[in-house]
Amino acid sequence: MQSPERTAAGAAAPVATEAAPYLVVRPLPGGRGVRIAGEVVLTTRTVWADALAGAVGADRCAYVLELSEVSFVDVAGAEALAVAAGRLESGRRMVLHNPPRTLSRVLEMYWPGLPGIEVPTP
Amino acid sequence: MSTVTEPFVHPALFYADTDEYLAGCVSFVREGLERGEPVAVAVPSYNLRLIEAGLGEDARRVRLLDMQEAGRNPGRIIPGVLRAFADAHPGAGRVRLIGEPIWAGRSETEYPACAQHEALINHAFTGREVSILCPYDTTRLDERTLADAYVTHPVVIDGTGRRSDSPVYDPDGLVARYNQPLPAAPGGIRLTYDYDAETLPTARHRSVAEAAQLGLAGERLDDFALIVAELTTNSVVHGGGSGTVLLWTEDGRLVCEVRDAGRLTDPLAGRRPARRDQIGGRGLLTVNLLADLVRVHTGGYGTAIRVYLAL
Repeated sequence: MQSPERTAAGAAAPVATEAAPYLVVRPLPGGRGVRIAGEVVLTTRTVWADALAGAVGADRCAYVLELSEVSFVDVAGAEALAVAAGRLESGRRMVLHNPPRTLSRVLEMYWPGLPGIEVPTP
Repeated sequence: MSTVTEPFVHPALFYADTDEYLAGCVSFVREGLERGEPVAVAVPSYNLRLIEAGLGEDARRVRLLDMQEAGRNPGRIIPGVLRAFADAHPGAGRVRLIGEPIWAGRSETEYPACAQHEALINHAFTGREVSILCPYDTTRLDERTLADAYVTHPVVIDGTGRRSDSPVYDPDGLVARYNQPLPAAPGGIRLTYDYDAETLPTARHRSVAEAAQLGLAGERLDDFALIVAELTTNSVVHGGGSGTVLLWTEDGRLVCEVRDAGRLTDPLAGRRPARRDQIGGRGLLTVNLLADLVRVHTGGYGTAIRVYLAL
């Protein structure tokens, strides 16, 4: 396999709501970060965790998570993000582009003002 | 022989009119302010205005909350109101609150959750230097509610300020007594869906689609998606691996019930605020913080959690 994509549940393209849960992570050009598509739920949690580990381990000050194609993040997914952001060395951050509202809502409820997370106004 | 005195103080205040209400509440607040204690008042809006006026200038030194908003869901009051305030003042010595969770407009559906909340306060604050005064309107609340107040509060203060120990104090007994099968849906169940790990998202998608058809929209629909996700995920992780979600409307509210084979053994589940660095323990808490009402029935056969959202 040459594809850099990591896919959970081996699912095919996500069209109908009845499709198996999936989460796909693709690199952004120039190593700026990743573009993620799908849902962060129980069965896709490991793919999400891998993507976050990649962000923590990346050699960049600002690492982009492009989330416009992520339709839902559950509370455990938001928690994994908060934990990952907490592991960033001082001055480094994850930049969330177009996070789903469920993610913003849970971050605001439990981790307001987390220094490792930046959400630019779209 | 040494006697260990429980530092948590949880009296009910029985009041029959505005004078008795103000006499009991304002003196309780003033005593705290004189001792330099952090003080919060969470009561229905009409009573909040009375206390605010009664305190005059001192009202600015008190955190004032409308319990009909902040405590709409009784399951939210401990984590979102009482402990939220108490925990925000570590090392301050005693923290003092007035919490009035039961008012005349509380429905028959809400009441069991209100009574259980009052009972669970005792567990939530055991060992802590906290005083919580709970006013009860003896003119407008029914006899059952006033009788239950004796069961959920170790001390009762009457309208003249006289304190007496409650001879029937038994919070655990009350929690068990109201752990009853939930009333049948009034008919017209809009969705019944059995799920397991693989179909968790489908359970959520179908519930959200149905809720949208019934008129839930915007941020409330997103909140509902989170509620369904947490309840159904709990079934898969803690409740035997699968469950059933049901959806209907009742008195202008969306009702969603999740049933599974799990048993809730921790009475404070979903009522402990989450520390920022805490891993896990936010599932039921999130449901309590977002819903307008949460009712639970748990036992040897499994657990049913019913969530209400205003439409």
